Amino acid sequence: MNEKGNFEPKIVGFLCNWCAYAGADLAGVSRIQYAPNIRIIRVMCSGRVDPVFILEAFKDGADAVLVAGCHLPSDCHYINGNYKAQARVALLKKVLENFGIEPERLRLEWVSASEGDKFANIMNDMVEQIKRLGPNPMKKDGGKIS
Amino acid sequence: MFRPRIIGFVCNWALPKRIEIPSFPRMKIYPKMQVVQVMCVGRIDPVIVLDTFAKGADGVLLVGCPLPDCHFVKGNIQAENKTKILKKLLSLTGLEPERLQLEWAYATEIEPFSTIVDAFRNHIIKLGQSPLVGENSDEKILSNILAAKNAVADFSLRVLTGREEELTEAMNAYGKRIPQEEFDDLLDEIVNREFLRHKIHLLTSQKLLSVKEIATIVNHRPALILRQIADMTSKHMIALDHVEETTPLYKALEVK
Amino acid sequence: MAEVKVGAVLVVGGGVAGIQAALDLADSGFKVYLLDQSPSIGGVMARLDKTFPTNDCSMCILAPKLVATGRHPNINLITKGELIELNGKAGNFEARVRKQSRYINESKCNGCGLCAQKCPIEAVDTFNENLSSRSAIYVDYPQAVPLKFTIDREKCIGCRTCQEICKTKAIEYDQQDSETVLKIGSIILAPGFEPFDATQKSEYGYGRYLNVVTSLEFERILSASGPYGGLVLRSSDGEIPKKIAFIQCVGSRDAQIGNNYCSAACCMYGIKEAIIAKEHVPIKLSCSIFYIDIRSYGKEFDDYYSRAQEEYNIRFVRSRPARITEDPRTNNLYLHYVEDGDPRIEEFDMVVLSIGMQAPKNVETLAKVLGIQLNGYNFCQTSVFSPVETSKPGIFVCGAFAAPKDIPESVAQASGAAAKAIAVIASERGKEIVEKEYKPERDVSQEEPRIGVFVCHCGINIGGVVNVLEVVEYVKKLSNVAYAEANLYTCSQDTQGIIRERIEEHDLNRVIVASCTPRTHEPLFRETVQEAGLNPYLFEMVNIRDQCSWVHMHQPKEATGKAKELVRSVIAKARLLKPLKKPIIKVTPIGLVLGGGVSGMTAALELAKQGFEIHLVEREKRLGGHLRQIRYMLEGRNPAEYLALLIEEVMKNKKIRIHLNAEVTEVNGFVGNFKSKISYDNGEEKEVENGIVIIATGATEYKPVEYLYGKSSGVMTQRELEEKLAEGEFKAETVVMIQCIGARTEAQPNCARICCGEALKNALKIKEIYPETEVYVLYKDMRSYGFKEDYYREASAKGVLFINYTDDKKPKVTNKNGKLEITFWEPIINEEITLEPDVIALSVATIPNPDNKRTAEMVKVPLTKDGFFLEAHMKLRPVDFQTDGIFLCGMAHSPKFVDESLAQACAAAARAGTIICKKTLEMEGAIAHVDENFCGGCRICENLCPYRAIEMKEKDGEVTAHIIEALCKGCGICGAACPTKAITMGHFTNEEIMAQVKATLLEEVKA
Repeated sequence: MNEKGNFEPKIVGFLCNWCAYAGADLAGVSRIQYAPNIRIIRVMCSGRVDPVFILEAFKDGADAVLVAGCHLPSDCHYINGNYKAQARVALLKKVLENFGIEPERLRLEWVSASEGDKFANIMNDMVEQIKRLGPNPMKKDGGKIS
Repeated sequence: MFRPRIIGFVCNWALPKRIEIPSFPRMKIYPKMQVVQVMCVGRIDPVIVLDTFAKGADGVLLVGCPLPDCHFVKGNIQAENKTKILKKLLSLTGLEPERLQLEWAYATEIEPFSTIVDAFRNHIIKLGQSPLVGENSDEKILSNILAAKNAVADFSLRVLTGREEELTEAMNAYGKRIPQEEFDDLLDEIVNREFLRHKIHLLTSQKLLSVKEIATIVNHRPALILRQIADMTSKHMIALDHVEETTPLYKALEVK
Repeated sequence: MAEVKVGAVLVVGGGVAGIQAALDLADSGFKVYLLDQSPSIGGVMARLDKTFPTNDCSMCILAPKLVATGRHPNINLITKGELIELNGKAGNFEARVRKQSRYINESKCNGCGLCAQKCPIEAVDTFNENLSSRSAIYVDYPQAVPLKFTIDREKCIGCRTCQEICKTKAIEYDQQDSETVLKIGSIILAPGFEPFDATQKSEYGYGRYLNVVTSLEFERILSASGPYGGLVLRSSDGEIPKKIAFIQCVGSRDAQIGNNYCSAACCMYGIKEAIIAKEHVPIKLSCSIFYIDIRSYGKEFDDYYSRAQEEYNIRFVRSRPARITEDPRTNNLYLHYVEDGDPRIEEFDMVVLSIGMQAPKNVETLAKVLGIQLNGYNFCQTSVFSPVETSKPGIFVCGAFAAPKDIPESVAQASGAAAKAIAVIASERGKEIVEKEYKPERDVSQEEPRIGVFVCHCGINIGGVVNVLEVVEYVKKLSNVAYAEANLYTCSQDTQGIIRERIEEHDLNRVIVASCTPRTHEPLFRETVQEAGLNPYLFEMVNIRDQCSWVHMHQPKEATGKAKELVRSVIAKARLLKPLKKPIIKVTPIGLVLGGGVSGMTAALELAKQGFEIHLVEREKRLGGHLRQIRYMLEGRNPAEYLALLIEEVMKNKKIRIHLNAEVTEVNGFVGNFKSKISYDNGEEKEVENGIVIIATGATEYKPVEYLYGKSSGVMTQRELEEKLAEGEFKAETVVMIQCIGARTEAQPNCARICCGEALKNALKIKEIYPETEVYVLYKDMRSYGFKEDYYREASAKGVLFINYTDDKKPKVTNKNGKLEITFWEPIINEEITLEPDVIALSVATIPNPDNKRTAEMVKVPLTKDGFFLEAHMKLRPVDFQTDGIFLCGMAHSPKFVDESLAQACAAAARAGTIICKKTLEMEGAIAHVDENFCGGCRICENLCPYRAIEMKEKDGEVTAHIIEALCKGCGICGAACPTKAITMGHFTNEEIMAQVKATLLEEVKA
């Protein structure tokens, strides 16, 4: 749907196994209700998220991408993978701008295993934000990929 | 004058030979009752008896060979046990249990047979027309009869009637005989339970109902109904449809 | 002649405590006989709906442990069993066990349940607290272990229906009770507790009033697999209640009925039940909890209590209702109680009685058979310095039988008891066990992917929202999906069998389970596929519970759609999955214990008794820690004496190397192979190798700024008061103690647990030495849980006055011309009272060590919001961390009494022992690999790797990267950065993740 009112964004989330994925689990266990727009892909560490994955997601029509890992500075299960993710996402936001994709569509968040509510809030917030922003401009006809 | 409609399920080996029965259809209009000839009175499925009442019979007479004679060894004992359950069920439905009678007769003796029929017929005349007959037929009893029919069609009661003789006369799996009174008490309990569950099932298949509503209709304590619904849920007979304010409403599930 | 010992242990009781003890023992190389009276293990926990304080679904977290126990090659389950005779002594017992007949051949029964469907006889379902019926042939619950049916001989009429229907010919009516004699070296008792019989409190009308239920009944009512499918209903009429009252302390803290003790868990489960009830009820439900004291003394429990008040608007009424009456017309209930001095009558739709724990039934017989002593309440007699030891050597105790307690403490105690049981027979490790053998792995490299998908209903946890059958039908249409089915509980033991069968039947070479979180359930399913001859990495999981049904409860359509897409994306990944080998690493059988207090010393000693070398590192110049400052115990024992003996034992033990005036400053490496640095105050450093780390660094005391502390000599902490009492320097006519200093405040919201006990101890000591001294205790809630309640009663009886205060009416302390004055509100007489005490004793909190942050970062483990160490799972892994090989005990975990620290220390030792008892460990297989042909030798990965798991090697003049397998943790940072894509991340390859991304977003287009 092109009309912003009916537009349901598709969000791909790369969640690290130890913190963010566990936070999403906690949202589940706590039955915290949030918008159903995210599709979670589990990775062991946010530092594992190759920029190529993110670009692929946008190419395939994701309206937004979330990378979520352990809190800075030292929650990372793998010592400092979260810093690596931070650096990559910052760089990638610039690249996205060159492609004509609003950098806000890529989001990096730190979610701990005890922050189920935070995870749910991020989801609701992202959905709202992307609804305002409209569909991924790489999508033609408001949905299909060229 | 009231002419009762009486159906007699009569054992081939108990039926006096002078009465002519064409081989097909097996039913012959006998002046006082319609006779259905069966190979053995033990063959009578309780479902058929209840169905016969549902279809408007004023009385059902079962006639078999006297104990211990049975052409099929123990058919008459089976008939006795089934009649017992049917009478228990009838008493729950509101239809007079006396409308069902099991009698013994010898094919060689015509007089006793006709005495039996006459006596039963007179009794039915005294009872009057079945409440299920006519324009003002009693819906409640009819639905009870249907529930009873579903109850006897269900596995539990069939198992118990089928095995009563073995368990009370011979030995159960543990090499013990179950005293008759004990078995009858158990039977009472299960007949009550199965009748109530099928009644609830029937009611909720027609309309979404709450525990309280069901309790009012069947005239039982709501606590008992809730308990049945819990058990029926685990047997997939019933399910919660939705909750209105503070009242859950249930619907029957199709029993597979 | 050498003493003959047996490397086997008998565990009596198969609840969560018994299960934990059995698993720890079996994983440490000992044979275990797990005996339970019931037809299946699981105990009370299996009947609970949710668990506090995380609100985890009880069955969800228990099931993996049940399954692990049921499948463990070293655990022999003896269900419907009873211990009838015991001979021998520690190290070599002979136990005679009677096993009641199930009338079912356990090896033939496959748990299909057809018999139960056809059985004409019904009985009350005791598992559902008699709220529904079950057949005369039955299994307690769908996930039961072992999943073997049982005939209820009381009810069965012997009609032979089941025998005729059973496909496996498992029914054996002539099966007799049998007896066996087990040869064992030690025994652990975990028989649990008996719920209080609420009919004894006739004033509450339980048994007469239908809408008065017990808390255990309420658990079943709340449970999705309970009698009402999780809907809260009144028993009288099946209506949803709008107003529920919870009455605490029913059968506890009640001297009249002989149970003066506190049942320790009821406050928390009462709060939990109120919270969950509000979540389960579609209308606005009002919940009121009637209590004497809210005893939320455990780790982060007060947080939970606050949430109950603030987020869930649960009303708390400090009052013990006198009685309940019923309106016979509506079956509503009138609660008669007194609040703020006024008698009140309030109407409720339903009342839940929070029933306490009693000693298990027939415990006297068991005690007699075993020759152990019971305490005055018929619980097991233990002592404060040997909390898991019974009065008889070689027999240990854990769980509620030792004293009423909650699940995490039962679990910790269970591991602790395992450590003690092992110590008796440490020399016999490995002698009675068998190694688990798997089918040879099938080579699937030449096969097209044939994917099997198993979608879990999880009772109604998933199926209640997500249309599971629709998901199954959907995935069947996707390419490479060779098979798909729905399961009621995919995690149940019988489903594991089904999965294995399906792998064979359909030649599956990839398996996907769509159920809950891989964080808890992946190991179980991996093992299942491995048993069927598949490499465990050919398995994948989709989390459609935590990501669909539980978070989109009111959007079934969207939740179902999302579930399909999630499964679709994982199927895309599964097509590309490759088998991986798990590297084997050697284990250094040496332990490193941080902290030389009573916890650290005990952990070290227990491991040393198992034969392991231990480095015990203490910052101070001598051992002893916090206990050194304790002069006497509430229970009357002499702490100094005990400590001296313990220190002596530690010093004498040749296996323990003590490092005083030292700190651990570096911990590198990984489970089994740590390299740590010990730095001494004199500047020296030492490197040690160790296989495990135990953190026992303790806690510290809050330094008060309140109530003129430090400004007036009459104001002191409880510890200072204790010191004065012990040294004979105490002199006072009036003492006022103020509780909760530095705890239950905004800054430190949680309870510090031990201060109420400290106050009671000092109050009783004062009354013992100076009976004329007046003692007042100003408290928020007196939290003298468990048997400590006896001391609370004793103090009251001796004239100590306990006066409740609240945060909005805190006591005021002033110094008037050198004389202390305290003013506080007396709630019973409703008046302000002013006293001039000689001593004001502040019960100050135990707070986290400020150093925790550094330690946590050093060993890579998390802390709680409060700053204590955060264990792997609050309920079931109380002394583990998510990071393998690192364990936790004592006050570093949270404030606790000495006996609790001791139990935890033993637990940490037992858990650590399961690792260092092995010569080698199998490591994670999902690690990085370098394709040398593509590697340009740029060294980017080498610098990025946080574990130094990449080294550069030269071969034929070309420098390429190599992975050190044992060091690689599989984070994938290197793979994400490699410019030539030469690095492949096992199980998370670029291709796999990209395929997953694509399939997430795009419908599959079939060729």
